[in-house]
Amino acid sequence: MRVAQARRFVISDHPLPWLLPLVAILLVFTVYPLIYNIWLSFHEFVPRRRALEFVGTENWVQLWNDTRFWQSLVITFTYFAIALVFELVLGMAIALLLDSDGFGFGFLRGVLTMTLVIPPAIVGMMYLLMEDPQFGVISYVLQSIGLLNPNNPILATASTALAGVLVAEIWQWTPFMVLIFLAGLRALPPEPYEAAMIDGASSFQIFRRITLPMMSKVIAIAVLVRGIDLFRVFDYVFVMTSGGPGASTYSLSLYAWQQTFSFVKWGYGATLSLVTLVIILVIANLFIRIAKVRW
Amino acid sequence: MNGSYSTRMLRTIAAWLVVAVFFFPIYYWTSVAFKHGNDIFNRPPKLFAFTPTFDNFQKVFGISLGSGGITVTPGGGNFYMAPRVWDSIVIATLSTVLAVAIATLAAYALSRMNFRGRHSFVGWVLSTRMMPPVAVAVPMFFIYKSFGLIDTYTGMVLIHALMNLPLAVLLMKSFFDDIPSEIDESAIVDGASRFMIFRRIVLPMAKGGIAATAVLCFIFSWTEFLFALTLTTTSVKTVPVVSSTFVTSIGTAWGNMAALGAASIIPAFIFILLVQKHLVRGLTMGSLKQ
Repeated sequence: MRVAQARRFVISDHPLPWLLPLVAILLVFTVYPLIYNIWLSFHEFVPRRRALEFVGTENWVQLWNDTRFWQSLVITFTYFAIALVFELVLGMAIALLLDSDGFGFGFLRGVLTMTLVIPPAIVGMMYLLMEDPQFGVISYVLQSIGLLNPNNPILATASTALAGVLVAEIWQWTPFMVLIFLAGLRALPPEPYEAAMIDGASSFQIFRRITLPMMSKVIAIAVLVRGIDLFRVFDYVFVMTSGGPGASTYSLSLYAWQQTFSFVKWGYGATLSLVTLVIILVIANLFIRIAKVRW
Repeated sequence: MNGSYSTRMLRTIAAWLVVAVFFFPIYYWTSVAFKHGNDIFNRPPKLFAFTPTFDNFQKVFGISLGSGGITVTPGGGNFYMAPRVWDSIVIATLSTVLAVAIATLAAYALSRMNFRGRHSFVGWVLSTRMMPPVAVAVPMFFIYKSFGLIDTYTGMVLIHALMNLPLAVLLMKSFFDDIPSEIDESAIVDGASRFMIFRRIVLPMAKGGIAATAVLCFIFSWTEFLFALTLTTTSVKTVPVVSSTFVTSIGTAWGNMAALGAASIIPAFIFILLVQKHLVRGLTMGSLKQ
């Protein structure tokens, strides 16, 4: 009886048996960590007693007064904004350039795909070598045309380190935008363009008045997907600068990770990662509302 | 747009130049993999004129190209990385299977069944994609520690499957949405159960979509860094994590690292070319169709 009942439930029209494995793994791996993080943010590891102790709101007060936290928040936003603008503008320009059926263009689009499959940690190492002050090819070129002082290594100078990391980021993810925008451009209907041609519109006018508005949904989705990843940047800064020099490339994720694993401040690390999570959730959901992105 | 011959020519040249700029770092990195140490540490950097060597690959993969063809010598050297490549393959493959299996079931329900809260459920799945890995890794580290899952395949497979679930669910849902639901309905009229329809009709029709989803899950697991860094120590390690350990106190083993890096992107690149048709849909988690 029981077995038959269970069997009927499994093959019924009820969505629960289909969703159960997904719900189980999401509960265990996202809801539980969330609760654990909240609990941990009110505790701290005390090395002297080798135990976690309740500290009340101490971590949150510390967060509020921690200049390094505010600094890393500013750095994360700066990184996010600069990378997003560069990737969007370059991505759109290159997509417009590659939007052609001419000979070899399919091959070129395929080559651009390559950057997306390289582990970001390895991309970080690639640029670490290329930006090496002595034998790095980027440093060499910049030094020979006088743009870079040989005494100021790109990644070891506070004013240029973030730019050095951003170069790797923008190199790897601009093709992501190119591919998405290309798909959007290819799906556009030809009629508005024909009408505009007859009216004698300039190509900039056509782009501004026809292409951009019709591409708004595509752009919004690209911004959302890329923006989420930009805000949790970790790999590049971890392998290229470890947050330095000073604190000039500390992203929120890196700061949270180091507090937990390098400085054994478990409670404070959890507090920092909670804050990172909340900021992403709030901004992303606001964006979804405003840009009316739908799945 | 079809301009004159000269504008078409100009556009072609510009396109090749731009792509060449993007390709250059990959070329340079690959060239480092074939360089002797003193060719890497040369100023000005050597781009083309160097004597190629297979030493780096030999050290990293234990494979040498001698006079008698290819010989394999599994060494115990510090830079022998073949077992780490194996770790990466096992974790990426198993986590992909797990994620795709769970996601396909859930996506079918989300695409075909009407139930209360379906829309917010999709929203919840999407919002788990927004969690910063560090916010998951810190608690998971302590949980894994108490369950003995640190440094195990099981632990890595589970966390990578989780990481890929939002993408896989939303992507598979978009592929199922493409299949007209009239097919399901007529099969129900004929007396088929939900599961039979799913297995016999819908799954075979969504084969291409499943392949594309699997490839993307594989690549995201293959390239993932933070979880692998946090939740493994010695016996299990993935390629991105060991690459960062090539930086030692006596300098960085660039040649070996480049050999590992260059070799590791080849399988991923081949995979992604196979599903190029669905790539954009995958990169946007199913919200844009090509």
